[in-house]
Formats: sequence, C-alpha cells, structure tokens
Amino acid sequence: MVPLSWYLVVAFMLIGLGAYGMIVKRNLIRILIGAEIMGNGVNIALVAFAVYGGVFSYTPQGLVILVIAIAAAHTALALVLMLLYNRRYGHVDLGSPVQAEVK
Amino acid sequence: MQELDPLLQLFEQVEFLLLAGIILVFGYLALEHKDIVYAAFFFGVMASFVAGLFLLLEAPFIAGMQIAVYTGGISALIIFGVLLLPRAQDRTLEVLPSPRARKIGLLLSAFVMAMSGGLALVFPWSTDIPQGMPEYAQSLQGLAEWLWQSHGLYVQIIALIILTTLVGTLALMKMEKAETLKDITAEFGVEAAPMPDDEKTEEATN
Repeated sequence: MVPLSWYLVVAFMLIGLGAYGMIVKRNLIRILIGAEIMGNGVNIALVAFAVYGGVFSYTPQGLVILVIAIAAAHTALALVLMLLYNRRYGHVDLGSPVQAEVK
Repeated sequence: MQELDPLLQLFEQVEFLLLAGIILVFGYLALEHKDIVYAAFFFGVMASFVAGLFLLLEAPFIAGMQIAVYTGGISALIIFGVLLLPRAQDRTLEVLPSPRARKIGLLLSAFVMAMSGGLALVFPWSTDIPQGMPEYAQSLQGLAEWLWQSHGLYVQIIALIILTTLVGTLALMKMEKAETLKDITAEFGVEAAPMPDDEKTEEATN
C-alpha cells in the first residue's frame, strides 16, 4: 500500500514547482501554467487526504470536480486577459523593455 | 479494502514512484522548455499522469474529469492561446529573470517543498485506505444524487460563477473588438475618435 505521506510529498512538490514558475517566470503563459500545476497539486492533496482520512464520501469528490470545472473557466478568463495585454503592449512578457509603448 | 499480497503492494509502490517521477519531470519541462508550444503540450501530458495518481487513489471519476478538463480542455486552450499570440512563441523576446530573482524564487519554492514535504513525511498519517471507501468512489449515481439532490444549490451557485466568468470573458473580447472599430466606440462610453480622411476614403473604396 502506498502511504498517504507519499501522495502528500508529490502534491507539495507540485505546489512548490508551480510557485517557482509563478515567482521566477515573466511570460504570462508560463505563469498560467505554473498556477495550473499548483492547482493539480492541491487536488492531489485534497483527494489523498479524503481517501486516507476515511472521509471519502461524495463531498470531496464533488468538491474536486467543481474545482476542476472552475479551473477551466479561470483559464479561459486568464487567456483572454493575455490576449488583451498582447493587443495593448504587443507582447506577453511582464517587465519587458517595450512595456511602456502603448499602441 | 481487501489485503493485497506483497508483490501487488510492491507493484503499486513502483507504479506510484514512476507516476510521481514522470509528473515532476513533465511539470518541470512545462515551465522550463524553450518552446512554449511544447511547454503547453508537456503540461497536458503531466495532467494526464496526475489522472493516473487519482486512479491509484481509487477515484476514477475524478481521474476522468482530470483527463477531460485538464488534458483535453485546459492544455488545448493554452495551446490555442499560444497560437493566437505569435510573439509569445518568440523565445528571443522573452524576458528572463535576473539571477537574483531566480535565486530568490528557487529558494522560496525549495523552502515550501522542504517544509511541507518534511511535515508530510514526519507526521503519523494513516498508511491504509479505510474499509468501504471504494464503494463511494464507484457509485456514479450516488455522486449525481449528492450533486443534484442534496447539494443542488451549491452546484447552481458554482455554475453561476462559471457562467459569469465566461460571460465576462466574452464581454472583454467584444469590448476590445468594439474599441478597435471607430464608429461604435461611443456606445461603450469612450469618446468617438475622429477618423482620418485617408482612412475614410479607403473604407469608401472597399
């Protein structure tokens, strides 16, 4: 049997990896990917806690399914904001030297 | 949960370690690969292997949702977004973080990983899935009843939030598009800009 701690270690490593992407990267798409990786880590931790903690009723399942659905919606919103940023500044890199040149 | 024989337990642990390794490698590649299209693709692959972890946790519906939404939806959405942003694919334009910022980011994320991972290993968590858990995970009808009968209100609230997000997304796109058409900018509260004469003649000829 795989112990709960193993799942939690993977989940926390994914959260750390996503945090690294969000802190270090300047490209908006990579920042979005980092946020999605963090979301995956959180989902793994939630399901693993629910299954091993003996509370795996329909509540955690329904919760994770709703979280995944909301993740899809916020990704669409983030991509549209990126398109708008690109139309305004001509690129999707935060802190780029040409950022001040508004079209 | 019925007792597994030692060979099956070993197989399960090896399977977990393989999945975890693949997930972390593809997660890293999704952030660090030079080509951003490949990065989005690697994110999709990573998400499908996360579904493998959900299957190991005996949660097949969540695994199905993970593959349908993350692998099939979100990664495809990111790839389409990249294709709509041609300059995003140009690596030469990407702003790289300064060595100091990179070091701080690495230290912070390593701190998060070490502290939370250490806590996960040290704390005496249970090592077995309790009896009766898989029955919950296998009943699609039970889950549907939980979602739509017992907690229908919450589902509707979440659905409204998602609908609002999508309507807001569409409205943002439409507003931006409308602002580029000079004739109707005034409808959106922005003063109509006078059109230059040569643009007017161009439009008339078209």
